[in-house]
Amino acid sequence: MRVLLQSAASGILIGGVYALVGIGLTIIYGVMRVINFAHGELLMIGMYLTWIIFTWLGVDPFVSIVFVIPLTFLFGAFLQTTLINRVLNALPQNQILLTIGLGLIVSNVVMLIFTSDYKIITTGYSSSTLNFAGLRLSTPLAISLAITTVITTILYLFLLKTDTGQAIRATAQDRDAAQLMGINVKRMSVLAFGIGTALAGTAGSLISPTYYIFPQVGGAFTLKAFVIVVLGGMGSVVGATLGGIIIGVTESLAAVYISSGMKEVFVYVLFLLVLLFKPSGLLGSSRM
Amino acid sequence: MALLEIKHVFKFFGGLAALSDVVCSAEQGKILGLIGPNGSGKTTLFNCITGYYPPSKGDVVFKGQRINGLQPDRVCKLGMARTWQKVRPLAKLTVLDNVMVGALARTNSLKVAREAAMEHLKLVRMERKAHFLAGGLSIGERKKLEVARVLATQAELLLLDEVMGGLNTVESEEIIQLILDIKKRGLTQMVIEHDMKAIMRISDRIVVLNSGEKLAEGSPREVVQNPAVVTAYLGDANVA
Amino acid sequence: MRALDDKPVSRARGSARLWWLLIAAVMAGLIAFPQAMSSPYGLHLMILLFLSVAMGESWNVIGGYCGQYSVGHAAYFGVGSYATLMLLQYKHVAPWWGVWVALVAALVVSLVIGTICFRLRGPYFVLASIAVAEIIRLIVLNWKQLTNGAEGILLADLPALKLGDTVITDWLSKTPFYYLGLALALTTLLVNYLVQHSKLGYYLQAIREDQDAAHSLGINLSFYKNVALAISALFTALSGIFYGLYIGFIDPPSVLGVDLSVQMVLICIIGGIGTNFGPVVGALVLVPLSEALRANLLTKLLFAIGVVRESSAVGGFLKENLAHAHVLIYGILVVVVILFMPDGVLGFAKKLIARGARQLSEAPQPLVGGLHGPTRD
Repeated sequence: MRVLLQSAASGILIGGVYALVGIGLTIIYGVMRVINFAHGELLMIGMYLTWIIFTWLGVDPFVSIVFVIPLTFLFGAFLQTTLINRVLNALPQNQILLTIGLGLIVSNVVMLIFTSDYKIITTGYSSSTLNFAGLRLSTPLAISLAITTVITTILYLFLLKTDTGQAIRATAQDRDAAQLMGINVKRMSVLAFGIGTALAGTAGSLISPTYYIFPQVGGAFTLKAFVIVVLGGMGSVVGATLGGIIIGVTESLAAVYISSGMKEVFVYVLFLLVLLFKPSGLLGSSRM
Repeated sequence: MALLEIKHVFKFFGGLAALSDVVCSAEQGKILGLIGPNGSGKTTLFNCITGYYPPSKGDVVFKGQRINGLQPDRVCKLGMARTWQKVRPLAKLTVLDNVMVGALARTNSLKVAREAAMEHLKLVRMERKAHFLAGGLSIGERKKLEVARVLATQAELLLLDEVMGGLNTVESEEIIQLILDIKKRGLTQMVIEHDMKAIMRISDRIVVLNSGEKLAEGSPREVVQNPAVVTAYLGDANVA
Repeated sequence: MRALDDKPVSRARGSARLWWLLIAAVMAGLIAFPQAMSSPYGLHLMILLFLSVAMGESWNVIGGYCGQYSVGHAAYFGVGSYATLMLLQYKHVAPWWGVWVALVAALVVSLVIGTICFRLRGPYFVLASIAVAEIIRLIVLNWKQLTNGAEGILLADLPALKLGDTVITDWLSKTPFYYLGLALALTTLLVNYLVQHSKLGYYLQAIREDQDAAHSLGINLSFYKNVALAISALFTALSGIFYGLYIGFIDPPSVLGVDLSVQMVLICIIGGIGTNFGPVVGALVLVPLSEALRANLLTKLLFAIGVVRESSAVGGFLKENLAHAHVLIYGILVVVVILFMPDGVLGFAKKLIARGARQLSEAPQPLVGGLHGPTRD
């Protein structure tokens, strides 16, 4: 029983990070209907940024989020205006291929610059644990869950209460109607991609104390992010939040009870089952 | 004899009733006009009939057989085909290939399909454009292409959704003649149209929808003199 | 109306005759090639070319004609090669029997994906194709007792191909693989041609152009998509089997990796998606490019023409890394093709030619095209 609770708890911790990645992806899809296959690479950029800031400036990875968020946001805005914008009206297949190509470029450029060597960030608390209700939780992951909760709350408030946030949601619901209402949908697309990238980058920062950092690390996250988004309902931020937690717990349980190497298989099989039985996801679609 | 019967059909989208207790029928060999303001449920009715989505309640009976919930391809094989309000050419294929796709519903031979397709193109007077890419056609040509395509499926009942929409007077007249030609061949048609003059000329009976409900039904003259219809459907009501 | 008779037809017949002459010459050249070529590397290059053509033509059926982009086709490639090589290496089943098991396995995988996805609208097929490829890769990687995991399978040797008592080949040189590869490439080209000029081809392209319209014209979407995927899966599996037998070594990254899946898509979109010859063009571009990168030819060229000095920092960097950069080049190619040449090299060329023809003639000409390409019927 304790093993079950323990692994479920670890799952929730990592699930929070997954949720961030998923929310970013679902916002991008919701607003732009673009399937961003470079999303994992954006997370990887966040990891490397954090590593650079840590190694050269000695800043703690969680603190460096303050830099990572604006930097990755700008990077995302840049990508949107130069590349993604050109395929907004292209066939979905071409959008997918474009973002796949983009992901390959990003990960391979990073590989050329930094080599494939695994990098790690070791802080004072990297391997420490804390005690919570009798369970041992990884300290860095617990901190990351706390930060994730704060960021998600700010994001919800932004989307629900601010004018810009509501404009984003309007664009996601009906792009044409939003434009007729005077919303600058081009700017919304840039914002959405920027926010999505920033969320992915932040997720990268949050897991950098606990994961190996290497150029190809993004790949697995991209696919998992899509599973989360489909599970939660494409375009639903709440759905992505829930989906992230569910995937985190599933993966953790699979790692403990089956094998660590096969844990992703269960996530992907879950994905296929969702497609088979409830493709619209837990919370339906097109609602933020 | 009624080829198509729509019996107390409802269609709900969430809480919205797009169709509410619609009853009508299409008599064999005749033309049934379907009119109503925008959003009254005309295309929704077509979608329910052809299996794009099933009705929430009620029955759609074609040739005596209940066809609720059948997939669109099955419905086509049974003898019903529809055109689209927003034309859907198969853009990267040629005009001839487009019509051949329709003809292939009845044969496995490309040769037979090609001959049938040419015949139908001649019927709509587009045979000169046979080897043009469908994506390069004008709107009038695309509408004619859709008619040729559904004719090639050897449908007994044609559902034409605003097939005159966006056409000028000459093009509309061509379509009207085409519809009357099709009637002469013994086929049944159900026509959604906003052009009142045209609908008055071609329809044997007219059904009026408003907000998903049937407002009136009758001969063209009866319908157009019906005060409820005049009130609801002020649109382009310049009646000849 | 005598307009469409005499001259144009005889000219068409004349140009058709020219095409056949050209094709016959190319075929003769290809068949004679191993006799003339003494270097095994030359044979190797051609074999890689044949393999790429086969992979591209196979993907084309589901991706190019039917418009369903699978980015997980490595699944069939890997299933094909692993099934055949495991049976050969561990159970000593000759590959010409093992291939049937492998094909059934590939078919089953395609039916699973197809049944789950093809009844749905939206991007699910692409996502599911990637997921299935990953599932298979991870299973193969982790099930060490069955597949030898990350170490892969190294073929000891191939049994000789015998007809009765006569040995046709003992597979000891590259030449038998050359001819096998040529046969594979030609078969996939033929399959593409047959599909394109059949009712199946018309229906697949209708589905690609407008699914709802196709549905309303009597086309059973799931059925035809599954047929296309099955055909594509079978020939992709054959390509994988050929690769495994030729190279003699397979491991999860080489036959089940996502890079491979992307490569298959790239071969098609570079050449011109949905065309019979597009994958050939794509292979002709990609194979020399990646070989040139691998052999550091590009770097040597840059040194030779003096753009970069070998001893400089940039020179050293290029020498070290450009060889491994072929995936980066793939990524750049994908982006460039999608943005600037969505119809591939062939489509781009067609547009240029059509524009040129229009400028030459007086009246504006329509873009004549469609399913039949330059020669009709």
